Amino acid sequence: MIESQRHSYHLVDPSPWPISGSLGALATTVGGVMYMHPFQGGATLLSLGLIFILYTMFVWWRDVLRESTLEGHHTKAVQLGPRYGSILFIVSEVMFLFAFFWASSHSSLAPTVEIGGIWPPKGIGVLDPWEIPFLNTPILPSSGAAVTWAHHAILAGKEKRAVYALVATVSLALVSTGFQGMEYYQAPPTISDSIYGSTFFLATGFHGFHVIIGTLFLIICGIRQYLGQMTKEHHVGFEAAAWYWHFVDVVRLFPFVSIYWWGGI
Amino acid sequence: MATSMARSGLRSASLLLRRGAKGKRSFSVSAHDDAHETAKWEKITYAGIATCTILSIYNLSKGHPHHEEPPAYPYLHIRNKEFPWGPDGLFESKHH
Repeated sequence: MIESQRHSYHLVDPSPWPISGSLGALATTVGGVMYMHPFQGGATLLSLGLIFILYTMFVWWRDVLRESTLEGHHTKAVQLGPRYGSILFIVSEVMFLFAFFWASSHSSLAPTVEIGGIWPPKGIGVLDPWEIPFLNTPILPSSGAAVTWAHHAILAGKEKRAVYALVATVSLALVSTGFQGMEYYQAPPTISDSIYGSTFFLATGFHGFHVIIGTLFLIICGIRQYLGQMTKEHHVGFEAAAWYWHFVDVVRLFPFVSIYWWGGI
Repeated sequence: MATSMARSGLRSASLLLRRGAKGKRSFSVSAHDDAHETAKWEKITYAGIATCTILSIYNLSKGHPHHEEPPAYPYLHIRNKEFPWGPDGLFESKHH
């Protein structure tokens, strides 16, 4: 028992989640390899591993929210940890997506003879960039404006407005994902159609996946805002979601310009 | 030139720091300002939603073009080995 705490740091209790997450990751990788090679039981082990990881994420974050919201362990000093962590995570995500744009530019700036020496490769029917791709580009920045609206509403203490703003943010995000799905459905090439398909679907698909992650993050923030768990002074979870969301909506401009527009004509 | 720029930069940074230390929060000036900003960004959001709605109606009313099936170039529809789940890629049913 802590009788009197003379510092502002959070000394965490022992937790089973690091080891359960590790076991989930082990089952996922081994199961994934087994599934991709003809081993029996690969699909089962892969599914179990993924379920284990998702479960660990849920209970671990639940514990963090309890430590912060109900137990008050997240002092100003403790808040610096998740802040630096979120920023470093986003920086690593920028590097991750940079690699896909590098691959796309590498393949399209000097197309090889195997694909006809031209970009897009001969026989690839590309999407008109001014149709759904152009439509989908302003939806994410609009959603970024809505998350800024939510941020100011939280700072101004307008709790209900903040919930409405987050509903607007998430709705725009879902519309964007819907249009992305429609675009993929209509797109003539598939991921197995030459280096064009590989780079196109890897870059836009990972961007779309990040949109989905950001949407889930914002949905959790919306629920927490509705439950009154965020205050004017303390809303690190919301700030991290907003940073992440701005990263996702700004990054959308790069595939639009370099992959859909420049790479599609 | 460069030194004077650096000096003025340092001066404004130190001013900012001092202001931040004095005030309750360094991110916003007052609750009144936040209320003003909330209203501003609410309007920007509505403008964004209106723009996107008009664009969507225009785009969806146009319909979409149908592409012809290309010749079977060797670099299209690549299959080096079987997928664990069957002959088609996950989102490739449109080929059949």
